Amino acid sequence: MDIGQILVNGLVLGALYACLAVGFSLVWGVLNVINMLHGSFIVLGGYLTFFAWHSFGIHPLVSLPFVALLLFGIGYLVQYLFVNKVVTAPVLTTLTLTFGLDMILYNIMTVFFSATPRRVTLDLGTLSFFGITMPVDRLFGMALALALTGLLYYVMRKSRIGRAIVAVRMDRAAATLMGIRVNHIYAITFGVGALMAGAAGAIFAMVFPITTNLTGMYIGKAFVVCVIGGLGSVPGALVGGLALGLIESISGHFFGPQHSLTVGFLVMLFILLVKPTGLVGKRGYE
Amino acid sequence: MITRTGLILFAIWVVILATTPLHADNYIVRTAIMISMYSVLALSWNFIGGFTGYPSFATVAFFGLGAYVGAIAQRNGVPMVVAWMLATIVVGAFAAALGSILLRLKGHYFAIGSIAVVEVCRLVISSWRSVTGGGDGLNIPLLRWSPDDVAIFFLMVMLVLMIIVFALNAFVSRHRLGFGLHCIRQNEDAADMVGINTTLYKVIAFTLSALFVGTAGAAYASWVGYIDPTDSFSILMTVKVPVMVLLGGAGTVLGPVIGAASFVVLEEIFWSNFLDWNRAILGMVIVFLIFFLPGGLLRVSFRKVRDRLKGREGVAT
Amino acid sequence: MSDYNSTKLSMGRSQVGRAGFLNGILPAIFLAVAVTAVPMAAAQETIRIGAPLALTGGLADEGMKQQLVYGMWAEKVNAAGGIEVNGTSYQVEIVEYDYQSDGPRAGQLAERLATRDRVHVIMAPFGSGHTVITGTVGERYRVPTIACVASSESVFSNNNPYLFGTLSPNANMTEVMARYLKEQYPDLNSVAILGRDDVFPKSMAEATATAAEQAGLEVVYRELYSVGTMDHSSSLTSIRRASPDWIYVTGYTQDLILARRQMADLGVTAPIITMVTGPAYEEFTEGLGSLAENVTSSSWWHHSTTYEGYGIWPTTADFYADFLKASGGSNPDYIHGSCAGSLAMLEEVLPRAGSLDGEAIRDALAATDIMTFYGSIRFGENGMNEARDLPIIQVQNGEIVVLAPDSIKSGDLELISR
Repeated sequence: MDIGQILVNGLVLGALYACLAVGFSLVWGVLNVINMLHGSFIVLGGYLTFFAWHSFGIHPLVSLPFVALLLFGIGYLVQYLFVNKVVTAPVLTTLTLTFGLDMILYNIMTVFFSATPRRVTLDLGTLSFFGITMPVDRLFGMALALALTGLLYYVMRKSRIGRAIVAVRMDRAAATLMGIRVNHIYAITFGVGALMAGAAGAIFAMVFPITTNLTGMYIGKAFVVCVIGGLGSVPGALVGGLALGLIESISGHFFGPQHSLTVGFLVMLFILLVKPTGLVGKRGYE
Repeated sequence: MITRTGLILFAIWVVILATTPLHADNYIVRTAIMISMYSVLALSWNFIGGFTGYPSFATVAFFGLGAYVGAIAQRNGVPMVVAWMLATIVVGAFAAALGSILLRLKGHYFAIGSIAVVEVCRLVISSWRSVTGGGDGLNIPLLRWSPDDVAIFFLMVMLVLMIIVFALNAFVSRHRLGFGLHCIRQNEDAADMVGINTTLYKVIAFTLSALFVGTAGAAYASWVGYIDPTDSFSILMTVKVPVMVLLGGAGTVLGPVIGAASFVVLEEIFWSNFLDWNRAILGMVIVFLIFFLPGGLLRVSFRKVRDRLKGREGVAT
Repeated sequence: MSDYNSTKLSMGRSQVGRAGFLNGILPAIFLAVAVTAVPMAAAQETIRIGAPLALTGGLADEGMKQQLVYGMWAEKVNAAGGIEVNGTSYQVEIVEYDYQSDGPRAGQLAERLATRDRVHVIMAPFGSGHTVITGTVGERYRVPTIACVASSESVFSNNNPYLFGTLSPNANMTEVMARYLKEQYPDLNSVAILGRDDVFPKSMAEATATAAEQAGLEVVYRELYSVGTMDHSSSLTSIRRASPDWIYVTGYTQDLILARRQMADLGVTAPIITMVTGPAYEEFTEGLGSLAENVTSSSWWHHSTTYEGYGIWPTTADFYADFLKASGGSNPDYIHGSCAGSLAMLEEVLPRAGSLDGEAIRDALAATDIMTFYGSIRFGENGMNEARDLPIIQVQNGEIVVLAPDSIKSGDLELISR
């Protein structure tokens, strides 16, 4: 039954990875910006959820939408006030800018929240089926992650805003000519990226310990997920996340936990070289 | 291309750094060593990131690898300077091999690929325990000299490296290679069509960006006497280097030197004066630089001077 | 957006004209500012203790703990009139910088502390590797370096005569533990070990494997997980199949919280679960709630111990009372204890050295043989505190209970029911 357990573990972890990466992927795909703030956004979301629960007893599921909306606001402002000014500059410039902003946010979080690991202790118990045990909160996290990702996909396809975002991604100049306010769309996209990061943080607070030390690691995972799945598309993040979760889980079992991360990176490098657009990416989105 | 003024400036700067042991304490000398070391890194990065326009984040992979090759060689009885040369050669060969694979990628994909290289190096070094000591790190035999002599020695080593890489930069910028790289940056397909062997040129640039970084890494390891995977392959360090070059002016010869020096000195000021907020302040400086000095220190003031001159002329007529 | 646009960098070639001249001297000016901006440390009327601290970066949590007790000690000692050395009373001063959990910067700051701030003693930072780097600089300048949180013998294997550590060796800890558990629970036959691939957690995992084999146990699972692992389920699934009597996990608090959670989630359990050094930290029990129950650990110090000795805090209880005030009610762990204990030790060492000369302090340190509220301190050949009875602790009803040694014991081992 071990194999079944390992596959399920991988899929659940993968869904969380997808949730972690989808906002990052969106910003990268649409704005051509590598958002180094993403990891800190996730941790910020996690801390806000934790403190809402710890100090005021607010259930993470209740605070999640508020945390996500707050992060949307922050993201919108960051893009509107800062990144928009240099959004057409080379990738290195925007990366450096978000890196600088991340240093500020990181510092603020360390001073106010300290780096002590925190976790929301809900302990919802476990579910067992066919000898496979799964914790309820992880399953919940997975369901939520999938639901949010699905919602994002729907919004991107069906809503006016979503279509505008897609239009801007495809051709900025033409979109401007069509009367789309590109700066506004950019800010919204960045906001949505931050919103997804905040939601991921809220979910993570229930599953993982939250500490500022993890910002770099989250970004690292987001990178890998984006490359494996394909940049800038919601299905790409989903496929990439699930694939990475499975890779880590399976290789951890067969090669030992020490090598699971290495295998993940090697798969990423391989995909990068063989199919740079990722497993489900489309040409022309880079 | 570098003007005579630029060359004189660089010479003056080298003299200032080289004479720090005469008029300052060892802390300043150590800062001078760090400035020279980061200048080596920034100047090296300039080949691939500046001239060629490929956003490489692999610098620290070369640095860490050089440190480890040097350290392992030294621990096995290879004399220090020979160990450094060995590190240079190994890192150069590694970069050439890696470049021929990785440089097929462009833009973002190249950037991520290069970051992944750093991570894979770190993970391999930390799990290959029998050779590298794994997470425990490695102790390297120390030079048993007085602290002043040690400081002066490593200052000279790093300065020599800096001068070599600077000279290479100046040479490449005048040479056909530099022109070719410039073409690649502007439009790689067009460069290919006019008969530039783009693959070869890019691999050369990538190798040049690694070679002396490897030496610097090995020298750094001998200097501090201890290395471990986390510090040797730190992502923070690899991001710092392009920031330095951007700060000074990418693709210029003098820019990386100015950028590295200003960055290290700024860092020193913030670390020593702001205990809790140093990172945020440095972040603000970076944000400020992006907005107000987008072309780096070198370029913007040129524009400013020109604008000011123009403005005056306008008033006069 | 095409790749070419995205990778194009702003260029300023061939524009290194007069402007370059103006800017070329900028760094020189910066350098001059850096030199003058920081006032030279005051003349010799204070005892200066240098502390490179990890206030940001990966080790920030531990760095802040060190900072807290350093401040407590300096304030209290100064209020009591300082330290008297060779007939003169000196106030103490902690010179602290943030080294960002970054190796090169640790060396840089140590150099600054030794040459610019002319400190008399350096308190090494948290990371084992960073302790080596700091100690190396200290050795060059003959400034004694005290490592209050480095427990790996590899740190002390360089025979640096100026490096002293107040924690005792890991191996000591693991042998005592394996022996104790086997004694208390004779049915103990197998152990599964999962360690973080990092200096301290790794050496603990390895030492435990050796100690367990010596105690006649079978090691049924033994793996390391890499730094940055976010999921332990595959290791834990393997452990579940091995169904050991004792599960031993090492790592930092965030790893351990995650591992313990996932153990519960996957139904992995054993009569004895040890997490090093989880329960030694308050945030471990806080982050886990009822899951922390009955988890055992070893530690170098616990606030329920009762030692008496030199220093501004004569007993453990004195330190504990002060600590509660300073921390706003949270309990100290061994980092707080060992670091404050090291400073308390200096109150005895410095007068005995009779001078603030680095070599004199070093010699006095080497001859140290005292008790403090933290326990006994006597440095061995390699500069590490010699073996002493280290507490084995267990979480019982949300509280930390000391199981061994007998002298400070406050409860008995409780097994975890399957």
